[in-house]
Amino acid sequence: MRSKKYENLNLLIYVFPALFVYIAFKMFPAASGLFYSMTNWNGINKTYNFIGLTNFIDLVSDSYFWQSVVFTCKYVAVMLVIANITALGIAVAIESLPRFKGLYRTVYYMPNMISMVIGGYMWRFIFHKVLYYMADNWGWSFLDQSWVGDTRYAFISIIIVAAWGAVGYLMIIYLAALQGVPAALKEASSLDGANAWQSFWNVTFPSILPALSICLFWTLNSAFQVFDVVYSLTGGGPGRATQSVAMNIYEEAFKGNIRYGYATAKSTVLFIIILIITAVQLRVMRKRGDE
Amino acid sequence: MKTGKRTYLIIINTFLILAGIYTLFPLLLALSNSFKTNGELLGNVVSLPKQLHFENYIRTLEKMNYLSTLGNTVFTAGISVFIMVLFSGVAGWKLCRTKTKLSNFLYSMFVFSMLIPFSSIMIPLYKVILGFRIENSLLGLSFVYSGLGVSMALFLYHGFVKGIPLELEEAASIDGCRPLQIFFLIVFPLLRPITATICITNILWVWNDFLLPLIVLSDNKKYTLLLSTNTLFGQYSSDWTAILSALILAALPVIVFYAVFQKHIIKGIADGAVKG
Repeated sequence: MRSKKYENLNLLIYVFPALFVYIAFKMFPAASGLFYSMTNWNGINKTYNFIGLTNFIDLVSDSYFWQSVVFTCKYVAVMLVIANITALGIAVAIESLPRFKGLYRTVYYMPNMISMVIGGYMWRFIFHKVLYYMADNWGWSFLDQSWVGDTRYAFISIIIVAAWGAVGYLMIIYLAALQGVPAALKEASSLDGANAWQSFWNVTFPSILPALSICLFWTLNSAFQVFDVVYSLTGGGPGRATQSVAMNIYEEAFKGNIRYGYATAKSTVLFIIILIITAVQLRVMRKRGDE
Repeated sequence: MKTGKRTYLIIINTFLILAGIYTLFPLLLALSNSFKTNGELLGNVVSLPKQLHFENYIRTLEKMNYLSTLGNTVFTAGISVFIMVLFSGVAGWKLCRTKTKLSNFLYSMFVFSMLIPFSSIMIPLYKVILGFRIENSLLGLSFVYSGLGVSMALFLYHGFVKGIPLELEEAASIDGCRPLQIFFLIVFPLLRPITATICITNILWVWNDFLLPLIVLSDNKKYTLLLSTNTLFGQYSSDWTAILSALILAALPVIVFYAVFQKHIIKGIADGAVKG
């Protein structure tokens, strides 16, 4: 029997490369971020002072930051509902077809392959040129809006584009779950006289709950960090109306005033928000798993 | 009953086709307008081009340094994923096969850190990158990506190794195989399905990641496709034919990748999401 000490040493040798990149580029930055958030480090000066919770106190009265938090929460809430309902609807519709399943799936997944920076710029063309053309020449006057310039429409256009990018991914997960629903169960329910609607809510829906959790979790996590689509579509505008938290942090740190310490304090708040949501999510999932 | 079924199919297909139009709309309009002259584009954005003007593409190929930025992107995505697979494969296997408190602790640490969002570590990470002096190095960037992605890959490998019978490894060990030989000759080939999933999801992640290169790369010789497209967008704010051809060029490699590996990609995405 080899000793535990030898086993642990042996383990460390094999884990070392992974551990090294992981600590250097993830764990250490995460830990030192907590420290920097309590300093007045500006990224240029070699020296900085420990200032305790001053950054966090300043943060309380930073209206731009809270504006970005409110925008992000609104964005997350709308994406959770719209992207998931659309994706589930599409998945159910595709699954019910006798033919062309593969073709539809291929088309819907395509936007997910492309970076949202590219997608956002393509849509910018639609919002800047194409919709106006349709409004003027086809008489579709409801399209004649200031899509990217008006606060309300800028939000709608961001959702249109973000959903465009996310639905395909969610659809794939829902499709995989739907294919796992035992056919015998569905047959049994239709023999018992359930119509399609009843059979969906009583048989299919309960069996795809794990996939629903995964999708909600993924949407929450990615939507809270939204950056690419806002950056390329509205640039946070008009004014700062569509600035997300990630953009606010980016601007604080890398554009203009370079207050690294203060920006890390913002990142810490973002991390805590995501951590709380994840903890709640995991608890809910575990409860459901127990039942 | 028969007619009911038919109406149902018509409704469902109409819905799906409308959703398909919404999906393809920006791609097709970008493609068709990228072949027009600026005057033609301003005249009618929805018509097909009267003539294919490849000049736009020639102009943007040069302006974006297309081949070199494409090469940079391929290099970064390839090396990142190579390092990630190598490091996390060995580590995930060893962590799964060692049953000590330390291995439990390390594994939980890796798994827990999957929750840390990138935007909350990007500033201190930037400082670390400056500290290593790799701010304009694509190889350095690849190591950063592998550090960010290694915990997820390790988690997937760890779960997969559990399903491989230990007897195989014991037999090989009795035959005189060294541990690393056991891993690369016996275990790694059996991990192929999960390796494919890890490669696909991570290649796409690194390829389409924008924020990290935006922060780290300042030398335009090191730019990735997304960065050079972004710069070009800033330079030609209203020259839409140039912009659209650049967008098509930037999207082209992933579209080709998708066309070739479609089945694997969709399967990989579904597996990666469900297991992760």
